[in-house]
Amino acid sequence: MKKIISVTINNEIYEIAVEPNQTLADLLRYDLGLTGTKKGCDTGDCGACTVILDGDVVNSCLVLAIQTDGSVVDTIEGLATEEGLHPIQEAFVEKGAIQCGYCSPGMIMSAKNLLDKNTNPTEQEIREGISGNLCRCTGYQKIIEAIDSQKS
Amino acid sequence: MLLPRFDFHDPASVQEALDLKKTYRENARILAGGTDLLVHLKKDLVSVEHLISVTKIDELLKIEEKGGDITIGACVTMASLAASGLIGEKLPALKQGAQSLGNHLIRNKATIGGNACNASPAGDTLCALLIYDAAVILQNSEGAREVPVSDFFVGPGKSCINDDELLTGFRIAVPPAGSGADYIQLGKRKSSEINVVNVASYIEIDPANQNILNARIALGSVAPTPIRGAKAEQVLAGKTADDTVFFEAAEAARRDDCKPIDDFRGTAGYRQAMIGVLTRRTLAAALAQAQGK
Amino acid sequence: MKDFDVIRTRAHRLDTPDKATGKAVYVDDIDKPGMLYGALLQSPHAHANIISIDTSKAEALPGVKAVVTSKEAGSIKYGVSPARYDETVFAIDKVRYVGDEIAAVAAISLEIAQKAVALIEVEYEILPAVFTIEDAMKDGAPQLHEDFPKNLCAEVHHEFGDVEKALAESDIVKTTTVKNKRQDGACIEMQGCIAEFDRRGTLTLVSGTQVPHYVQRTVAMVLGMDIGKVRVKKPYVGAGFGIKASANPMELACCILARETNKPVKMNYTRDQVFKLARARHGFTHTITTGAKKDGTLMALKHECWLDGGAYSSFGIATVYYAGSLLGGPYKLPNMKYDGYRVYNNKPTCGAQRGHGAVIARATFEQQLDMIAGDLGMDPLELRVKNMMEAGDTTCNDLNMSSFGMAECIDAVRNGSGWDEKKGKMPNGKGIGMACGFFVSGAGYPIYRSDTYHGTVIVKLTEDGGTALVYTASAEIGQGSDTAFAMIAAEALGIPLENVRLESGDTDMGVDLGAYSSRQTLMTGHATKEAAEHAKAQVLEVLSGLLNVPVEEMDIKNGFIEFKNETPDITDIRTRYIKEHRGWIDNPDSEKLTFKEASRMAFLEKGSIVGTGKYKPHLLGGKFKGAAVGTSPAYGCSAQVAEVSVDVETGQITIERITDAHDCGKAINMTSVEGQMEGSVSMGIGEAMHEEVMFDDKGNVLNNDLAEYKIVTSMDMPQVDAVVVESDEPNGPFGAKEVGEGAIMPTIPAILNAVYDAIGVRVFELPLTPERVYWAIQEYQKKAG
Repeated sequence: MKKIISVTINNEIYEIAVEPNQTLADLLRYDLGLTGTKKGCDTGDCGACTVILDGDVVNSCLVLAIQTDGSVVDTIEGLATEEGLHPIQEAFVEKGAIQCGYCSPGMIMSAKNLLDKNTNPTEQEIREGISGNLCRCTGYQKIIEAIDSQKS
Repeated sequence: MLLPRFDFHDPASVQEALDLKKTYRENARILAGGTDLLVHLKKDLVSVEHLISVTKIDELLKIEEKGGDITIGACVTMASLAASGLIGEKLPALKQGAQSLGNHLIRNKATIGGNACNASPAGDTLCALLIYDAAVILQNSEGAREVPVSDFFVGPGKSCINDDELLTGFRIAVPPAGSGADYIQLGKRKSSEINVVNVASYIEIDPANQNILNARIALGSVAPTPIRGAKAEQVLAGKTADDTVFFEAAEAARRDDCKPIDDFRGTAGYRQAMIGVLTRRTLAAALAQAQGK
Repeated sequence: MKDFDVIRTRAHRLDTPDKATGKAVYVDDIDKPGMLYGALLQSPHAHANIISIDTSKAEALPGVKAVVTSKEAGSIKYGVSPARYDETVFAIDKVRYVGDEIAAVAAISLEIAQKAVALIEVEYEILPAVFTIEDAMKDGAPQLHEDFPKNLCAEVHHEFGDVEKALAESDIVKTTTVKNKRQDGACIEMQGCIAEFDRRGTLTLVSGTQVPHYVQRTVAMVLGMDIGKVRVKKPYVGAGFGIKASANPMELACCILARETNKPVKMNYTRDQVFKLARARHGFTHTITTGAKKDGTLMALKHECWLDGGAYSSFGIATVYYAGSLLGGPYKLPNMKYDGYRVYNNKPTCGAQRGHGAVIARATFEQQLDMIAGDLGMDPLELRVKNMMEAGDTTCNDLNMSSFGMAECIDAVRNGSGWDEKKGKMPNGKGIGMACGFFVSGAGYPIYRSDTYHGTVIVKLTEDGGTALVYTASAEIGQGSDTAFAMIAAEALGIPLENVRLESGDTDMGVDLGAYSSRQTLMTGHATKEAAEHAKAQVLEVLSGLLNVPVEEMDIKNGFIEFKNETPDITDIRTRYIKEHRGWIDNPDSEKLTFKEASRMAFLEKGSIVGTGKYKPHLLGGKFKGAAVGTSPAYGCSAQVAEVSVDVETGQITIERITDAHDCGKAINMTSVEGQMEGSVSMGIGEAMHEEVMFDDKGNVLNNDLAEYKIVTSMDMPQVDAVVVESDEPNGPFGAKEVGEGAIMPTIPAILNAVYDAIGVRVFELPLTPERVYWAIQEYQKKAG
């Protein structure tokens, strides 16, 4: 049976009816049209569906939408502002850290969460901070350069 | 991939959760981090009618030190465990286990209670729980009982938890001064691994003469459950800690304690050989720690 | 050195701002009004006759709109090469692997479609199955395809020169066998598609493909439609690597469901289904014998290769040729013999993956070169320098190296890695190794026999004159081709990149064979350059009439008209432009006449200014059978140095650093070239270290997810120092050639050679998992006593 939940996504409050077996990834993508969050496996192995849930990055394919009642969710769509791309997004464009782009939204969310918590990560900490986000295109080199360029 | 249909319950207290457990018994499953259960449901490996989520029950989220014991709530995540100063200082092998599990995304969801209830022989925190001689706290609506973690695992994916019970946490006695512990896991790549072999060792020495007062070794991925290396521990009992005795203990662990099988992740022969290597290495690291090095 | 304004820079890619913000649309992001959801029934058995199929319960389920089997799909065979069309959309009489398609359902929800699939009742007669080359070739083995006895799908026999004689004249002869494992492409985006018919009978298929053109042809053939009534469009695609380089059964099933229901139908593969479709790197067993003189001169190469092909041919007939022909270079090798065999079995079908056919052959050969150098007491790098080809050389199998910066690549990795200071001087457990490679810059011929252009491009100038629109049917799949073509168009037109817009990946825009065989930069690039030059010529022609200046005395550069001699009076044109009310805020006030003004004048005189461009290779290669596979208008080449450390007790290898140099001709976009190099290295490391598709004894994939199929994570990837080497390719647009696939060639052998350098043990089977390395060390120590 559907249940109404209230969840804050990218600073907007959504009151929405969800099925118990619906994942957060599917809610975002198919009900709310927030298709920036990608699905590359649906079993928590690739990180393409990474969102920030109550301050921590998670695989949204392994979170039930119904569990996010009262939660705060940040997705890739919430990063850019009217002024333009978020600096991390700029860095990904600038450094050539994006190829096919399918891992990029999740990768950028992990990068943001990492830098939110640790403004000056070492290279090893950057590698750890994206270790659940698989990228088949770039070899991670330019991704790490992009994140490194955003240290303070 | 679609999840099967189920009813979802979100109890706010342990008591509420236990009432639901009592009502639905084998038709209900506890949902903690969901990093295993939701995958198994999507792959149609398990079925469920009722999911009882316990991650919002405050008392299951605490790490506390009281009267010489550390208690860890069942829903403490791997990330929280790894970040805890208390765990890092007093139970370093558990921190290592938590840090080794999966990757940064999985660690933000996966819980220590879930890791135990999933009862995988390769589980990353289970060897540490074994060497710290943790007690598993199980509650039903009648009350609580404690089970030594070495009795908790019954087989792959199986524990001694009853249908009406909830694993609420773990109690671990704070290791004394002069002790040390270490954990090493071995897989094919350097992140997001399912272990081929994993070992934790704990050692307690008399600083006066380096005699081993207490030693516990846990071996992962080499039996239907994570196991204690009983023979290896016997080798160490009362001896002076040095490389020679560690080598003998490692040989005992390799030859006598582990009972690995061949599967697609590795052969029994390799696992057995690695038990020797990792036992020796974890003992050496544990000793260095015990000696304050 | 030619002077370029747009290419050879680090321009930001056109697509990445949208990709960084989640705005870029991939196929599963698309919804259509009234859309249905499709699901496939796939065989649970590796080999079985189909006795009966009963779809009645599925059809009766509320919400189901169509259930289709071979009855609706027909029996037209398709595949990749017309010489081996051996697939039907749905199995007709038998299934040949776990995953073979039997039926499909369209329903109002995915949940209902999947329920309906489960309600289809199929009666099977289980047949004995074969899973290995050895079992498939045995006398009396079960046959997968009637027309191919002993399950031999294809065989190749080539000899150039006299190999036996040359081996007899050699001072050293070395034979080794190397075996890899089947790979998976592991694109992060799983394949998906949406098919829809309009009421006039036009089919539009939106699919995550590398090859809209070939998919269009296959769909038209299988559905019995005119090509002109089939439109295939590719949205953004989450990478391909070869796995998405042919029509897949889901695309075809989806079109049939759309036809039956007259509604848009969406289908997606799950990750498990991606493993079942496979079409990735074959399992190869290469046995190579090389002869050399004492001074290191290579004399001859004798080569036998067996390919574990799977249930159908896919690209296999090309793969078995590539596996042999691409050892012809990059070294001078006068004598070469090759016998290649591809064998069917009841596993998923292998196809093409980055470095098609050539990667494991290269690994085997480059490892052997190191062994020969060792026996001769030569630095393995010097052995390669001694034998390498130069620009202008032709291999014994007629591959012409029209440009070849091999020497520069070797120098770059030698210096970049500190080879001379490290080789032979590293402590036990640490090692350094190197290898070289080369690869085609586009297949010389299309997959089907045809005189077709390989690419056509249209460049249209907007009526205000300010913007050039590039239309190409080529496939941006993440490699950066859209940006490369926009840069080429801007360079050729003489305008800034920001004034170029580009649409691609749509069969309505022309012919383009797509993103495979590392072909687009050279081939589509040529067509783009020609189209842009054509548009430019039309503008200059009009301008010539207006200003009375000969066309040859004018040029366009950075958006301005340049006059070689005297600058004419432009007042009339400027006044006329301003009166055209095409500029609001930016009417030109520059001293120089702008491209925009000139282009508007051209529009006023001629209407739409449309430049067209086309490309097909000049006549290539030898006359022998199979000469078409391996020929290319140009070849990229590369060298790599790997540094590793090995834990000898556990067998764990850590790749410490890779130094990589690649000759891509003139780099269109420097950043993108490096990106291809770094990505190639990461795929090579995965294959070398831990990627392998594993099966149980029933033909099921054991590791059918990205937890157990192990591509490299950020923790596994070392620092890569990528050095771009730029030769000037005479057959390439602005001198450009490939980088996408060739850059993977040296990675695996460089690692194999570095591991040997570290521990003195040669490993001849991939991947180098800790366990495999551990046992190799054990065996070595046992032998050493």
